[in-house]
Amino acid sequence: MPPSLAKKIAIYLGAALLALVIALPVLWLFIMSISSSTHLTTLPLQWWPDSPTLENYRSLLIYAENSPSQSFLYAIRNSIIIALAATGLSICAAIPAAYSFSRLPGPGRKNLLYAVIAIFMLPPVALVLPLYTVMSALGLLNTHVALIIVYCSILLPFATWLLKSNFDTIPGDLDEAPIIDGANRLQAIWYVILPIARPALGAAVMMSVLLSWDEFFYGLLFTNDIRSKTITVAIADLAAGRVADYGLISAAGILAAVPPVVLAFFMQKTLVSGLASGSVKG
Amino acid sequence: MSSISLSNVTKTFGGADVIKGVDLSIEDGELVVFVGPSGCGKSTLLRLISGLEEISGGEIHLGEKRVDHLSASARDIAMVFQSYALYPHMTVADNIGFPLKMAGKSKTGIEEKTREIGTILQLLPLFDRTPKQLSGGQRQRVAIGRALARDPQIILLDEPLSNLDAALRVDMRMELARLHRDLKATMIYVTHDQVEAMTLADRIVVLRDGIVEQVGSPLDLYLKPVNQFVAGFIGSPRMNFWTATTNENGDLVLPSGVALPLPCKPGALQPVTVGVRPEHLVLAADDGTATLQGTVLSVEHLGSDTFVQLHCGFGDPAQSDINVRFGGIVPVRMGERVNLSVASPDNWHIFDTEGLRIEASA
Repeated sequence: MPPSLAKKIAIYLGAALLALVIALPVLWLFIMSISSSTHLTTLPLQWWPDSPTLENYRSLLIYAENSPSQSFLYAIRNSIIIALAATGLSICAAIPAAYSFSRLPGPGRKNLLYAVIAIFMLPPVALVLPLYTVMSALGLLNTHVALIIVYCSILLPFATWLLKSNFDTIPGDLDEAPIIDGANRLQAIWYVILPIARPALGAAVMMSVLLSWDEFFYGLLFTNDIRSKTITVAIADLAAGRVADYGLISAAGILAAVPPVVLAFFMQKTLVSGLASGSVKG
Repeated sequence: MSSISLSNVTKTFGGADVIKGVDLSIEDGELVVFVGPSGCGKSTLLRLISGLEEISGGEIHLGEKRVDHLSASARDIAMVFQSYALYPHMTVADNIGFPLKMAGKSKTGIEEKTREIGTILQLLPLFDRTPKQLSGGQRQRVAIGRALARDPQIILLDEPLSNLDAALRVDMRMELARLHRDLKATMIYVTHDQVEAMTLADRIVVLRDGIVEQVGSPLDLYLKPVNQFVAGFIGSPRMNFWTATTNENGDLVLPSGVALPLPCKPGALQPVTVGVRPEHLVLAADDGTATLQGTVLSVEHLGSDTFVQLHCGFGDPAQSDINVRFGGIVPVRMGERVNLSVASPDNWHIFDTEGLRIEASA
């Protein structure tokens, strides 16, 4: 029986409401970003600026020494380097780790997995002091490497867990078939397991990039100038001056969202195709 | 293609002996079927040969070469899995070509070989499809094609037809028989289906609890089972057994008191087990010469055969109901009393208290 008209309307209304709840803050951020700062402080509040301006974007994107644009552009660069490096390293290590947890026998292996997850659950606050001392001793404070290492320690357990649960759903015969066909274990993973797990791999990459892109706490503590400050810290800096320029902050927020959105756009196909082919059994 | 020999192969899983010293040699080009009840170790034995499991003891030779220390990928043995285990993200052509790719063959070499196999198995029109676009039978053929690709020494098949419906199973069985004939490939085939075993095998290996009970041609096993287990396992419906005793003349006597005219003297007053297959019982006249009498409990008409269950009402309760298989349509009715005799004295099988066959010789 096709759904009744009332039901259809209810479903669409629900979906629209959900979309609004998610989209409205972003829309408001965008409106703020194209308003002048005087405009944002006038009362009563206006929903749409009289004279929309791209001035905020201009002052962030056109490079000038000792300006917000300098710290913003450097921060974008730092964030991209750190997020990609941390994600790349974590995924490269998580794949063999997840495969081993999922496929190879041994009680020790399972305990190790639980230990990793338990440590993952520790709040950053508990770890930040010892980590700071270590980084300081190694002379790594205020470098990309410090944050890459710390982010790897967050991403690796997460990605391992995510991939392991996906590998678990792949029938064991699909491990053994390539080995019978003359592949070694690594080739079996590369040619058979990873392509089948591609959607999970895509999700792990997406989530890892997002986690490191959004990370603030370690970024704030381990960096102190434009050489290594990440985008979240740079945006916070914009708010920390004598006068908070909300228009500028909003524009920075919108721009900071662009790289993850672009990434999601390109990975969308992988994620969706995975939903469709996941049901295929060997 | 190559011969294979197993000597005293054992396998222990966490203290439990699963394979208890198997000796077996399989000739080049032979199709050998492993049968046995579930849990008998037939699939484990196949996995030991493939290298997917390591043996706990003994030796495996492929031709002249000892292979039990080699990894599965180095043994040059192909395997068809029960689940097919096709690579879901690859096309049919890529699935078949995968072993060649792993062997480092050139692109043109791979294409040539996959086309050749595609022609043999009539898969060419499906070459660009992925496994999910194929029917069960087509998937099965792709799995076989992938096993053939490398021209392996041995092809192992682990219950390859059990996921197919009955009609398709018969077709694929004949196709496998044809492939084996044409390719002269050495094959080891695991199944629990007797019909597959009897029709495909050059030789059948009957396993129980990790031990080889008998190795022989299908008719050997049918006509001369070496023990009571094999006698009961091969043949459908299973053989009827009775405990018999010997009278003072040394003749075998059924619990019903009927003496059997058998040229067999098992020795002084020893109880033995006698067996006769359901298809070797025939209707007899009601003149007192019949070997068995019974009341019909159930009748199943298959057209080609009539399966009848009889209650004979003597001896051990477990032995008093017997199966009979008549050829063609036989007009017996439920509750009717029928007389049976055994077609030929050769149809009797006699086993001692240990279950071992006693040859019916004077």
